[in-house]
Amino acid sequence: MIVKGLGAWGWGLAVLRLTLAGAGGWGRAVALAVFAASRLIVAQAPPDWKALEDEMLRHYQAVLRLDTTNPPGNERIAVEYLKQVLDAAGVPNQIFALDANRPNLVARLKGSGKKRPLLVMGHTDTVTVDAAKWQHSPFSATREGGYVYARGAVDDKDNLAAALMTMLLVKRHAVPLDRDVIFLAESGEEGNSNFGIQYMVAQHYPEIDAEFCFAEGGGVTRIGGEPKFATVQATEKIPRGIELVAKGISGHGSVPLPSNAIVHLASAVAKIGQWRPDVRLNETTGTYFRRLASIAPPDTAAKYRDVLSADPKVRAAADDWLFEHEPQHSSMLRTSVSPNIFAGGYRSNVIPSEAKATLDVRMLPDEDPAKFLAEVARIINDSAVEARFGAQNTRPPGVAARADSEPFKAIEAANRRIYNVPTLPTMSTFATDMAQLRARGMQCYGIGPAVDLEDGPKGFGMHSDQERLLESELYRFMRFTYEVVVELGGVR
Amino acid sequence: MTPARIALLVAALMPAALLAQTGTAAPDWTTLQAETMQHYQAVLRIDTRNPPGNETVLVEYLKQVLDKEGIPSQIVGSDPKRSNLVARLKGNGSKRPLLIMGHSDTVTTDDAKWKFPPLSATRDGGYVYGRGTVDDKDNLTAALMTMLLLKRLNVPLARDVIFVSEAGEEGSSGIGIGYLVRDQFPLIDAEYCIAEGGGVVRIGGEVKYATVQTLEKIPRGIELVSRGISGHGSVPLKSNAIVHLAAAVARVGEWRPEVRFNETTGSYFRKLAAVSPPEVAKIYRDVLSSDPKVQRAADDWLLENEPRHSSMLRTSVSPNIFNGGYRSNVIPSEAKATLDVRALPDEDPAKFLEQVKRVVNDPAVEVRFTGQNERPATAPPRLDSDVYKALEAAGTRVYNSITLPTMSTGATDMAQLRAKGVQCYGIGSATDFEDPPKGFGAHSDQERILESELHRFVRYNWEVVSAVAGAK
Repeated sequence: MIVKGLGAWGWGLAVLRLTLAGAGGWGRAVALAVFAASRLIVAQAPPDWKALEDEMLRHYQAVLRLDTTNPPGNERIAVEYLKQVLDAAGVPNQIFALDANRPNLVARLKGSGKKRPLLVMGHTDTVTVDAAKWQHSPFSATREGGYVYARGAVDDKDNLAAALMTMLLVKRHAVPLDRDVIFLAESGEEGNSNFGIQYMVAQHYPEIDAEFCFAEGGGVTRIGGEPKFATVQATEKIPRGIELVAKGISGHGSVPLPSNAIVHLASAVAKIGQWRPDVRLNETTGTYFRRLASIAPPDTAAKYRDVLSADPKVRAAADDWLFEHEPQHSSMLRTSVSPNIFAGGYRSNVIPSEAKATLDVRMLPDEDPAKFLAEVARIINDSAVEARFGAQNTRPPGVAARADSEPFKAIEAANRRIYNVPTLPTMSTFATDMAQLRARGMQCYGIGPAVDLEDGPKGFGMHSDQERLLESELYRFMRFTYEVVVELGGVR
Repeated sequence: MTPARIALLVAALMPAALLAQTGTAAPDWTTLQAETMQHYQAVLRIDTRNPPGNETVLVEYLKQVLDKEGIPSQIVGSDPKRSNLVARLKGNGSKRPLLIMGHSDTVTTDDAKWKFPPLSATRDGGYVYGRGTVDDKDNLTAALMTMLLLKRLNVPLARDVIFVSEAGEEGSSGIGIGYLVRDQFPLIDAEYCIAEGGGVVRIGGEVKYATVQTLEKIPRGIELVSRGISGHGSVPLKSNAIVHLAAAVARVGEWRPEVRFNETTGSYFRKLAAVSPPEVAKIYRDVLSSDPKVQRAADDWLLENEPRHSSMLRTSVSPNIFNGGYRSNVIPSEAKATLDVRALPDEDPAKFLEQVKRVVNDPAVEVRFTGQNERPATAPPRLDSDVYKALEAAGTRVYNSITLPTMSTGATDMAQLRAKGVQCYGIGSATDFEDPPKGFGAHSDQERILESELHRFVRYNWEVVSAVAGAK
């Protein structure tokens, strides 16, 4: 789902160069932002993290090698694996399924009941692959140069494996708990949440009801190989697909026609691709950019401040810079539109009578869908092209999670301790299964491992054809997840 | 007398004229209509959409019809599922053979778009609807009927008449005309050939003129491939391959390559102007003008109102396929479009490709030839030949129309025969000029023919073939 590590493409190369050159901007900034180290939370003897790396990698590679590309998903094979591991460890678990091939798994470690439960989630499905484009086979989980390459490496089998390891370790070390810790491995996150979170919320809510939840959606951003800041996803954009359908006269390709549906649709998509909807900030994103400016090197900080400017010219220049250098931040500024599918024609010498494109639209939480659709139609300005909402997969708007809560503080503390970085609350540009839980009043926080800011633009990000994760960051994330869960769920 | 009786009388008089010409009993056109329709619907209902083609099923039908009539024929091919049929009626050998062709395959269909199922050959409102109705099962049926009649009426022939039903015309001519020319040329070698490519133009329901194809454009597919960074759709990227390709296709779609005439098209537009109503005649003359502004205005008008004529003016480009992306939330790393390019016979392919690159003007978009399905460029046939004269005479007699030589915008299997020195002429049934822009043309989702024009075309075919091949 998300692009983990929120700032994910946050910092431009200029920043990177500055940082690497040792200009000191970062070091000082981070030092200012970081508070005194928090008390150590874990009462028990801490796990021997080095010794656990093999076990972690074994589970991670095992789930990566199970093909759960969605469609069709077939998450059953991943759930069977998790169940067998949990059973062997004596962690009670149950399976809930709307479709036998697409089950969800819920495991629960009981607490004293003093506090309400904590839910930790990871989804078992992945997006599909364009296998020919992969250097390493997408289900090989090949280790190379310190990385593991596979579909799902950072979306979301990292969170899944870290949550699994946390359950195993809490059980193994018999950590006394004040809250139940619930582990949910849900199916269908990538486009069919009706089998997964939607089904669990509608039919089995008591099994997953909790005060707080952690899922994918945040992370730690590394620049030049160094962690610089962490993000916690507190709210998210709402996905609304828009379809463009062009209709024209069909005929023989030897006679070009002015009504050619492919040409009309191409013009429409070109116009939409050039268009950037208005910049609009909300409380979360406003805070985010202000905080980011306060810890960023001077020239980048200027961009973050400029994008908040009331002067349209100043704002537009910063916006252009972000689109070019930090597209993730550009998407946070607005309802974004990405034309991702274009299909028309079936034979080279036949002019088709119809062509269709799909726009991936990510709306700001306060966007008015009907008005936005009308705006799209105005930009296209062609009566031969119809613009309409696609039927698929929307998510309910929810309330942003608080940044002064117990879990937020636990995450902040763990980020300081493990990564030595400050934490920023953020709005993710993509949707997560937390939307359904927030709509039920749960306080949800998105977390994730550290990834290199440079990876996304180079084509190594989530959903890309070279999705990958640093092994060392996988292990660090295992520790982070465990420590946050124990801090929050353990007896204090 | 009632109009029906007049019609009967006219029909009864026609054979007499033929009798005088050929020295044999003449066809009874009215009674033959049922037989024509039966064969026509039968071949339309055989699924030969290419790919995969499966033309063998259709040629087996033809063979059985020919066998029953006692016409020798054979099925030949390089792929057992994609056979060609060759039938021959012997002449006295005083002249070299005449070849009449019709291809048995059709283009594919987008079934959901069809009002009548594309293989139903539904009769409605005087039309027959179906894939192949005007490309090319009309020519195929007319050629078949001509063979049956020559045999049935025992017409003495000065030339062998060879009937070829070839497979794979729609994009896989290697197993059809390519195979026949390469491996079976003695079977089909002829002085002249007649195939699809011309036609009779009706405007407002009235026949205006007939065209005979003497030259054709050369198909040259061009692919545009854009590459960008893949990623999650929630974060738009400047390098989005779909957006880059869409902008490229939009620019190519707006672009009209320069107007250039050759001898055939120049004389075509001049002759057309001479027989057209004043306002349209002015357009045809304007498009020949040396004043770029005058020419441009006429060109604009033709693209809007007579797109086929617009295509005759230039190497044409039609973006017909665009594919990219496989999931709504994933920015794909690649997208591809296919341009159907129909080059003027004298076009320099390498130079043209450079022009397309200049129009696309985006280093993220690669521009290249597809390499598929190319045909040789050839010299036009003579316009003073026996066949051309017979075509003109039949145009006058059957359609009461003048005949114009023309360059077809589509490629035909005649390209390969012309390259071997066969003099080829493209003919076709009468269709309404207004049909293609309304979406009823060849390759469209409502391909159709007027029943009355199918029958008239059978007669035209017969008259041309019996005049050219009959022993005088």
